[in-house]
Amino acid sequence: MTEQPIPRLVEAYVGEYASGKSEIAINRALELTRQGRRVTLVDLDTVEPFYTLRSLKEKLESFGINMICLSAKDAFGLGETGAMLNPKARWALRHEGDIILDIGYGVYGARTLNLVEGANESDELKVMLVINYSRPMTNSRERIKEYINSFDRIDFIVANTHLGDQTTAEIIIEGNQEILAVANELSLPVAYMAADINFAAELQKHQFLVPVKFINRYMPEAIWS
Amino acid sequence: MVAPATPKSWYLPSKPHKFCPGCGHGIVLKALGETIDELDIQDKTIFGCDIGCSLLSWDFLACDSTQTHHGRTTPVMVGIKRARPQLITIGYMGDGGGYSIGSQHLLNAAVRNEKVTLILVNNTNYGMTGGQMAPTTLPGQKTETTPYGRDPEKTGYPTKGPEFLSELTPDGAYVARATVSKYKQLRRFLRNALRNQIEGNGFSFLEVLSTCPTNWRTNAQQTWHFLEDEMEQFFTVGEFKTPFGKGDK
Amino acid sequence: MQKVIGETKKAFLTGNEAIAWGCLAAEADMMFGYPITPQNEIMHYWTRLAPKYGKEFLQTEDEISAGFTVCGAIQSGIKAFTATAGPGNVLMQEPFGMAEGMRLPFFAIIQQRGGPSSGTVIYSQQEVSLTCYGGNGEGHRIVYSTATHQELYDYTIKGFNTAWKYRFPTYLLGDGYQAKMREPLEMYEPSERGIDIIKPYPLLGLEGHIGTDREPQHLRNIYSMEEELYDVVLKNDADYNSVRQEITEYSEFNCENAEVIIISHGVVSRAAEDAVKVLRAQGIKAGSFRPITLRPFPREQLLAVLEKSNAKKLLITESALGQLERIVKYEIYGQTLPIETLFMPGVGIIDYDIIQKIKSII
Repeated sequence: MTEQPIPRLVEAYVGEYASGKSEIAINRALELTRQGRRVTLVDLDTVEPFYTLRSLKEKLESFGINMICLSAKDAFGLGETGAMLNPKARWALRHEGDIILDIGYGVYGARTLNLVEGANESDELKVMLVINYSRPMTNSRERIKEYINSFDRIDFIVANTHLGDQTTAEIIIEGNQEILAVANELSLPVAYMAADINFAAELQKHQFLVPVKFINRYMPEAIWS
Repeated sequence: MVAPATPKSWYLPSKPHKFCPGCGHGIVLKALGETIDELDIQDKTIFGCDIGCSLLSWDFLACDSTQTHHGRTTPVMVGIKRARPQLITIGYMGDGGGYSIGSQHLLNAAVRNEKVTLILVNNTNYGMTGGQMAPTTLPGQKTETTPYGRDPEKTGYPTKGPEFLSELTPDGAYVARATVSKYKQLRRFLRNALRNQIEGNGFSFLEVLSTCPTNWRTNAQQTWHFLEDEMEQFFTVGEFKTPFGKGDK
Repeated sequence: MQKVIGETKKAFLTGNEAIAWGCLAAEADMMFGYPITPQNEIMHYWTRLAPKYGKEFLQTEDEISAGFTVCGAIQSGIKAFTATAGPGNVLMQEPFGMAEGMRLPFFAIIQQRGGPSSGTVIYSQQEVSLTCYGGNGEGHRIVYSTATHQELYDYTIKGFNTAWKYRFPTYLLGDGYQAKMREPLEMYEPSERGIDIIKPYPLLGLEGHIGTDREPQHLRNIYSMEEELYDVVLKNDADYNSVRQEITEYSEFNCENAEVIIISHGVVSRAAEDAVKVLRAQGIKAGSFRPITLRPFPREQLLAVLEKSNAKKLLITESALGQLERIVKYEIYGQTLPIETLFMPGVGIIDYDIIQKIKSII
């Protein structure tokens, strides 16, 4: 067994409904796994049981990620009977290695972390806010500020502007510039900006003030599969 | 000949009204008309009636009114009041509509302290459909569906609305039970039930014990006897909850 | 009036959110609702957004109450609405009936889920019969079946206007897939597109003194005489038929010279159009016809499409066991084209399913 580099990474991804939290969390978990690290990915989405990691569980396990989530067949039905949590999620921080938490949307925002033992006391934990400038609740500087202020705690921003199948490099660049401007104004660090791997060639022509991570999209497979 | 005084808020083209001789609805609606006049709220009152004999009141008043469905008067009135709080909404229903098919609406409107006034006329049976057992039918009372008398072992005891509603409602609610045998008290309770809405204090509910000689198959004396000596013994008359100082029981 | 949307922008949304924004753009005043999947996020977003624009929400004790509170609020002259699904749609048939009987401009969003009974909370097209013809009336309703998020937004705005213009209950019939999927759409101020938002007006609580300025309003839905009701129903029917053509909407895709025409509605029509593209590329002359209004149904338009095509066969496909098929067969009575069916009740249909079916029948 290889030595796990110290300190380990504990990242909780929070954000607006359909902001891309789950996609970012999966890609982050895969990135760390490819670096030879031991990674546990935890599904804490209690509000939106339809569009969660659970239907991707087996696929992600085959990539070597330790998954803490219910599989579709564990959850009796979906929806009303689907807002449930795998009891293992409560003790997720006791696992060795890196922990990536995918937190659902909802009025409680990052307070979902209260469901994880030791999360609030952990000095390893980083709360990462995912923002897509194409989402109506975060489509202006004022709205982004208002949204960020609704959280008790944010440690880093992840800029994730896209428009689904209609994404262009301009949309990514212009949206993320606005997010960066707000982060700068609020003195919040931006961990990175994320962009679909299909835009790698185009975006690499540009200079950005923050790191860019290119991601694959897994979540379109997640809906009712 | 001296014509009986009719309230200004009565709709005269619908008179004479269609209630049976000896029915208590006429007394309740006369008291209601006089109260609307006294409070000068005719132009902003919305009267909603349930299905059952209470439906016969749909054009009784010269106020804007709407027919609803059986049991659904409460949510329709809630919708109107929520939409335009300056209107005075009066839901008018029988014991079946309020305590049976519409009970979930009554209970939840009370819990939410909806600022509507509901008047529930209790005559211990389903009158319009031909005299079946109601939630308020007294133990031993014969109806078309309790031909040997209501057996509480099989069908439970009569529903006591003001008793449970006064427990459910928060402060500001007004809950009372009147009877058509005590007209001045009925008028006073109606005034309080409407004043409470006008002042915006909370939910207002008034049950009125009433008579149904047609389905009870009673003559005038027997009708009055059943009301005063049986119903009023079983159902306590008085104010159960009032924001206007000490209630009257 | 505060602009809700502002400058027209492309946005990335779920379907339920698109509807909530559409309701704001349509100048809706108040939502009454009861939780049921898959429509919950309409309430979540309405309750988040409504206070910012001075609008209201009430969570009622059940769907019956949600429907009747909407009826009361509409009577008093505000633009109220609700959203529901499945068993909630069943319960709401009672207030929908009141709206039909009293010609109330009731707009409701239905996000279909699987049935019968509690079924699934996921998806189906099994609420077609209920939404078009539910209740104890004659189906004097207007039902838009949407297929994309853009349409969810567009037809939410249009649905309110249709309801208030024609005074028939109007439905946006979506489904759990459309509710939860994410895709881009363009949100706009209706005025930017030349759409006039019809203002609500009261039926009760009118201005003026009763007796001197005006008569009291006594609104009815129950009648003592058979003939009274008969006259009301026939008048409603005559009104409905007189506006049928201006309400009816449909779309067709590659139907000219088509030898087989696929008839589908809602999200399934996306799969049908994709299937047509693939089949055409393989030399199979397929076309697609989609009723956008299921009530009133585009009967003449479908007959005209069949007339100009070379159709030898029809394929009716839906995520239900023949609810669309019954409507189509009734509407094109007299046509002798063979009808094939692909029914997958409560299950999604993709282009592959339709392509395979077409190949098996030609």
